[in-house]
Amino acid sequence: MGEIQVETENKKYEPKIAAFLCNWCSYAGADLAGVGRIQYPATIRTIRVPCSGRINPLYVLKAMANGADGVLVSGCHPGDCHYISGNYVARRKFALIKSLLNHVGLEEDRISFSWVSAAEGGRFAEVVKGVTERVSALGPNNGIFKVVDGGAADE
Amino acid sequence: MNKIINDIRETARQLLAEGKVDVVIGYEKGSLPLKATPCFVHSSEGVDSLIWDETCENNLATYVAKTPGKKAIVAKGCDSRALAVLLQENQIVRDDLYIIGVSCHGVIDQRKIGAEVGEILEASISDGKISVKGMEGDKEYLFTEVKDATCQTCRYPNPVMEDLHIGDTIEVSQEAAAFADVEALESKSDSERQEYFKEQMSKCIRCYACRNACPLCYCQECFVDCNSPRWLTGGVNRAENLLFQAGRVMHLAGRCVDCGACSRACPQGVDIRALNRKMTKDVYVMYNHESGISEEGKPALNEYSANDPEQFLVKE
Amino acid sequence: MKISKEKFGQAFDALVAEYQIIAPVSDANGIAFKGVKSFSEVKQDYLNSKLPPKAFFFPQHEKLMSYKKEGKDVTVKSELKVENTVLFGIRPCDAKGMQLLDMVFKNDQYTDPYYFERRDKSVIIGVACNKIAPTCFCSSFGLSPAGSEGSDIFLIDLGDSYDVEVITEKGKAVAARFEALSELSADEQALVDKIKDAETSSKVDVSTTTSKLDKMFNNPYWDTLQEKCIGCNVCSFSCPTCHCFDISEEVRKNEGTRVRTWDACMAPLFTLHGSGHNPRDNKKTRWRQRMMHKFNYFVHNNGSMSCVGCGRCIKGCPVNMDIRQVIDGANKAELVVE
Ligand code: SF4
Ligand code: SF4
Ligand code: SF4
Ligand code: SF4
Ligand code: SF4
Repeated sequence: MGEIQVETENKKYEPKIAAFLCNWCSYAGADLAGVGRIQYPATIRTIRVPCSGRINPLYVLKAMANGADGVLVSGCHPGDCHYISGNYVARRKFALIKSLLNHVGLEEDRISFSWVSAAEGGRFAEVVKGVTERVSALGPNNGIFKVVDGGAADE
Repeated sequence: MNKIINDIRETARQLLAEGKVDVVIGYEKGSLPLKATPCFVHSSEGVDSLIWDETCENNLATYVAKTPGKKAIVAKGCDSRALAVLLQENQIVRDDLYIIGVSCHGVIDQRKIGAEVGEILEASISDGKISVKGMEGDKEYLFTEVKDATCQTCRYPNPVMEDLHIGDTIEVSQEAAAFADVEALESKSDSERQEYFKEQMSKCIRCYACRNACPLCYCQECFVDCNSPRWLTGGVNRAENLLFQAGRVMHLAGRCVDCGACSRACPQGVDIRALNRKMTKDVYVMYNHESGISEEGKPALNEYSANDPEQFLVKE
Repeated sequence: MKISKEKFGQAFDALVAEYQIIAPVSDANGIAFKGVKSFSEVKQDYLNSKLPPKAFFFPQHEKLMSYKKEGKDVTVKSELKVENTVLFGIRPCDAKGMQLLDMVFKNDQYTDPYYFERRDKSVIIGVACNKIAPTCFCSSFGLSPAGSEGSDIFLIDLGDSYDVEVITEKGKAVAARFEALSELSADEQALVDKIKDAETSSKVDVSTTTSKLDKMFNNPYWDTLQEKCIGCNVCSFSCPTCHCFDISEEVRKNEGTRVRTWDACMAPLFTLHGSGHNPRDNKKTRWRQRMMHKFNYFVHNNGSMSCVGCGRCIKGCPVNMDIRQVIDGANKAELVVE
């Protein structure tokens, strides 16, 4: 995979983005991008899950708590789920966790959801680029969720 | 003594005497002014301690699954909704349960009174008026002035399911649900909301009273207690506290019946409701779903429609 | 002897240079003990804090040490940070509560350095309760709203001045900075006497509780007692004498910290074994433990009950479990043959 830096105002800073990808579509899409030598920023840390329906909202929360600057969640397009309805069920959870996090003041762009199929290698690269740009613009995770080391003090 | 209390006692007496239930779960007078306390009556001799008034603030549905045997429960609107969700989720057996339904005008927000009169020394309720003798002064309130925030927006004061109804029913407006409280927060900027929740979360001492008071937090092993994976460190700071609350609220999204038991149980006055209500609103607006309004149906996150909105996707 | 509040305030403000000062302040959530920089921030008219001041010696979450592994080298660092501290405005029940905690954290074999480093470097300025909340019942335990036990300096608020009693050597060092002390007038002396004589209006008889509990381990009393309890940690966390804790490791990659966190006997997790077995797997046994520990085991081990009657658990309990009624119920419970 290509190692390029995104062009942002903040050139040095490279965000860490936890990417939860479903095995059948988005992970395969990422793979296709790799095989096709389509370049995208090396900002994502991929976590492969069997289905977007397997993504527990706690994964998103915990990733933020553990210091990720952003989270990308991606699965098959609705209707294309390998397990028929996994992503339909997931869709409601995704909508709610996104809304909840925004409500508690987390910047909208830190958490991104996108449907990417196994055939959309190019689109996967585009999604990662877009997410990377937006998270870079926000800078490091400001800490509303970030737990440094389980320390005792608040601030 | 009013007719409702009398009827509750008579019903309990009969149920116990006839052996239809092993225990009646209701309320009795608490040890502090304006406090009722849950009570478990096992024999007909005990029924005279049962009461019903604006201090009956706990959600008794919390006890149903944990109490062995056949039980009767005094249920107001929100207790019955919680029971409905528990039935939908197969947590309780309908045949083991006898629901004594009472329509509820709302419960008293003691915290508000305490903040004004100091420690409450004595109080009495009559005809919609509450007279309080406090350490910092005395005051008389109209019930509507000190009605709990939850009850002010309640749409189901009448039990949604019951085996017997006691007292009158309350007329409710047929209008769509209103979420002025949520909208007020939504209209603030990200950073203002962040400040608000930071402040709220820094008050939390992670006593888990909110979780334990909630009739719908019944997991055998709550994620906060799980050590493999370890979702939370032992840390008690606002980031961890928010992780806890956000996780809990997500688990209750589409299930929470907005009874307010969690907020009232919180010793620290954390505005937990601000989180739950946001989810309730989203579920209502996006999926046209209200939790626990009938025995049938499913919690919102157990269903889907091919047309569910997708505003949450990244803009490409 | 008395000191005017003005003079006291000056001495207090001067202490800021050498001590971290903790005092009652009024915040969004009621009264809390917090760090202050000047006497003007201190709330003088208060009942007691919502949470007990024990956290200054025994924090809810405390790093004990941190460690790091680099190659073959392991470094271990103590995380103990201690400052000279003055705790001002401690009520008599809490001052006594600290003495009870001392018994837990020190015995003939072990002294807990984390607790005692802080404890030894702090000075307790107790202040008598002029007002007594309806949930206060310290008088039940031979304590009093104006009891000086556990304080290094004890004050009684007389309006514009404080009656001062210096109790320990530690107290003396701080009291040496008090200027312009003067004698009490006859009226003031009468007021002091009145405050000293006051008792809590709420009292429970604990004279037979310990010996009664000796015979109650299998009593059916516990069966019904626990029914309404929802098993939260409110009563333990708000108790000035509860002291149970958990120790865990927060490890990430090659480094970590060992932390100590408050735990509570009312939580099922407290006694859960690694095997999955839980010797106290129901609320009945947990409530029995709470009662037994406070009113029986602690008495046998340390010669004192481990409740000081502060009433915090009564106020905080979401289901209005009232420890006074629980004690009373145990006193009256019918004994069964064990
Ligand atoms: S009840 Fe309140 S203080 Fe306790 S854990 Fe819940 S939010 Fe935190
Ligand atoms: S989360 Fe709170 S308001 Fe919702 S059901 Fe549980 S206790 Fe009731
Ligand atoms: S917070 Fe979640 S895991 Fe914990 S008891 Fe409630 S629903 Fe279950
Ligand atoms: S048991 Fe209750 S009354 Fe007794 S010291 Fe603890 S919190 Fe105070
Ligand atoms: S505070 Fe009340 S409900 Fe919570 S554990 Fe203690 S007695 Fe039980």
